[in-house]
Amino acid sequence: MSAVAAVVPESTETGPRLTWLRDRGMGASILVAALSSAFGVVLVEATAYIGAMLQADPYIGDSGTLAVVVAMLSVLLIGVALYVAAIVTANTFSTIIAGRTRHIALVRLIGGSARSQRAEVARQGLIVGAIGASIGLIAGLLIAWAGVAFADRMLGDVPAFTLMLPTILIPTLGVVLTTWAAAWVGSRRVLAVTPLQAIAGSVERSHEDAAGRPARHVGALLLLIAGVALLAFGVLVGLVTPLGVVVAFLGGLLSFTGISLAAVLVIPPLLRLVGKLFGRSATARLAAENALRYPERSSRMAIGVVMGVTLVTMFAVALESVKVLLTKAAGGELDSEFAIIMDSFAAVMMVLVGISAVIAAVGLVNLLTIGVVQRRRELGLLRAIGLSNRQVRRMILLEALHITITATATGLVLGVLYGWIAAQSLLGSVRMPPHFEETAGLVAPAVPWIPVVVIIAATAVLTLVAAATPTRLATRVAPVEALAVD
Amino acid sequence: MEITTTDLGLAARVQHLTKSYGAGESAVTALDDISVGIRRGQFTAIMGPSGSGKSTLMHIMAGLDAPTEGRAWIGDTEITGLGDLDLTILRRRRVGFIFQSFNLVPTLDAIGNILLPFELDGRRPSAIERARINGLVETLGLGARLRHRPHELSGGQQQRVAIARALATAPDLVFADEPTGNLDSASGREVLQLLSTASREHGQSIAMVTHDAIAASHADRVLYLGDGRIVADHPRQSAEQIAAYMLAAEVSA
Repeated sequence: MSAVAAVVPESTETGPRLTWLRDRGMGASILVAALSSAFGVVLVEATAYIGAMLQADPYIGDSGTLAVVVAMLSVLLIGVALYVAAIVTANTFSTIIAGRTRHIALVRLIGGSARSQRAEVARQGLIVGAIGASIGLIAGLLIAWAGVAFADRMLGDVPAFTLMLPTILIPTLGVVLTTWAAAWVGSRRVLAVTPLQAIAGSVERSHEDAAGRPARHVGALLLLIAGVALLAFGVLVGLVTPLGVVVAFLGGLLSFTGISLAAVLVIPPLLRLVGKLFGRSATARLAAENALRYPERSSRMAIGVVMGVTLVTMFAVALESVKVLLTKAAGGELDSEFAIIMDSFAAVMMVLVGISAVIAAVGLVNLLTIGVVQRRRELGLLRAIGLSNRQVRRMILLEALHITITATATGLVLGVLYGWIAAQSLLGSVRMPPHFEETAGLVAPAVPWIPVVVIIAATAVLTLVAAATPTRLATRVAPVEALAVD
Repeated sequence: MEITTTDLGLAARVQHLTKSYGAGESAVTALDDISVGIRRGQFTAIMGPSGSGKSTLMHIMAGLDAPTEGRAWIGDTEITGLGDLDLTILRRRRVGFIFQSFNLVPTLDAIGNILLPFELDGRRPSAIERARINGLVETLGLGARLRHRPHELSGGQQQRVAIARALATAPDLVFADEPTGNLDSASGREVLQLLSTASREHGQSIAMVTHDAIAASHADRVLYLGDGRIVADHPRQSAEQIAAYMLAAEVSA
């Protein structure tokens, strides 16, 4: 529930110049920055600690390969977390800007330039990033300190290790910079605000113009096609040599980047499809329209969760499929000790990539809340003409469900595909004792049910958490608010 | 037996209604012991300067707000003391609303907005209601616009969709709050004519809050509010008469 609490910063003792920090959404952006920076710091420390441990080990000390592998893994994991955090932050800032349109228009009216307005938003992003990254740095150090103390006691004699590594500044500064950049990207809309919007009582446009950047969509499509082709090729190559996984990895990278870039094309039809599941009642229809009101916002909100779920599922399915492949190659039996090692590795990786899903979830909760705050007037109107409080609750819960179901289902499907391809392209050609002549060949994707159940349960929890604050705010809207002139 | 609102030929009424905000020294009285009825089948304008309490009166009569003291009825249903759910259902079925602006749900097209009160009630319009809606759509000239969303409609068209929605359920009473406040004079006149036609030809009871003398001149009856009380109650008047009365009231105040 800490995510929800942080969405509404109640009373930060900030000077009058920093009052914008209390704007809805800023708290969540700080939380996102803090989460990703703490995650980065902990991973850097863990990598260094494992490295120190390996160095001290008399048997593997000199071969640095394992340390390099661990380091590369943590770089990848931090990269993914920063990427998701950047999407969430950019989305949050662009949503905050949408709510500030009137204010920005007023400043434009009395002579402020659009550029200076945008620079101010970027500056706010820098401050949010700095605050969040610092909190994350401290939290990360505390976690690392506790972890090292625990490991020292468990493992006994361990070489001297200091937490104060210069490298922990890399993820911290990375978070500051990505938050800054994300605020800049998210503030693009400032440039479109005209001074006239301060005085015009214009009707809200119900749908953003999603079209308009065909070049980007074509690029995304090309990436997607190339990626899928490489994925298929990787599986085929994998039947001959383990190098297939390199081809498939490239394909995975390209295709997923394509999906992320084309999210605004891919996600809305899926949202519409999920919307059909909820029937034709007035609340269901209103919820469906709300989920699609800002297709770009919803798509980016969903794609972060898609990323997290895809990664978690991918590791689960990959490791499970690896076990199946090895079992088949070995002629039906797999060393149980080896299976346990694989399972623990899978569990650790799932937790680590799960952090990205948590970051995406914070963004989702926050955006749904801002979405409700920004349409108080509409809620007042609906209440006036006969939407009951129970229907308000239902509508907002369905709205949250729309996005979580769409994102989780997409992530599960993609994760199963990617995970299976990873295992297949790596081990399709593996030969194991006692039947060295035969390779494993093609196997069906193996889906372990525990992670899937955990993911679905987490989605249910996320939906309830995401709906809680907006529902509380929305049921407090009095019908009279529809009549307020502004 | 108590005499009912219907017996009195009224669509809605309030009795000894008081509404005050705050407490003690800083208390503000918006309505001061008002008793008044809105006659059935009539187009009534409620006039008064800003702060006269006309909006507060309308909010309470329409079941949007609760009074500090006194009672209010819509038809024969006493609405003071009703819970939130009962009030919501009452508004859905028996009251129509036309606001100054932001009348329509931006994500729904025109017909979706018109049918919203029925859908919130979890039902489809009956054959009679459908015929009524079709008639309204035709009278209001919305036939070609039904699939348009609010932002694709002009201000006057949006107001006509709001009128269609307000009249679609054949409510006991339609409340209009400055319905022409955001319109140019031609669209405004059109909206007022549509409202007076609805009351004259179909017996629709309408209460309109306004401070525009021209708007009030379309009504069958004009109630004047000042400082939370009814200060005058006139049958149909010309815009000049209304403006003169308002001006005199302002000057003497």
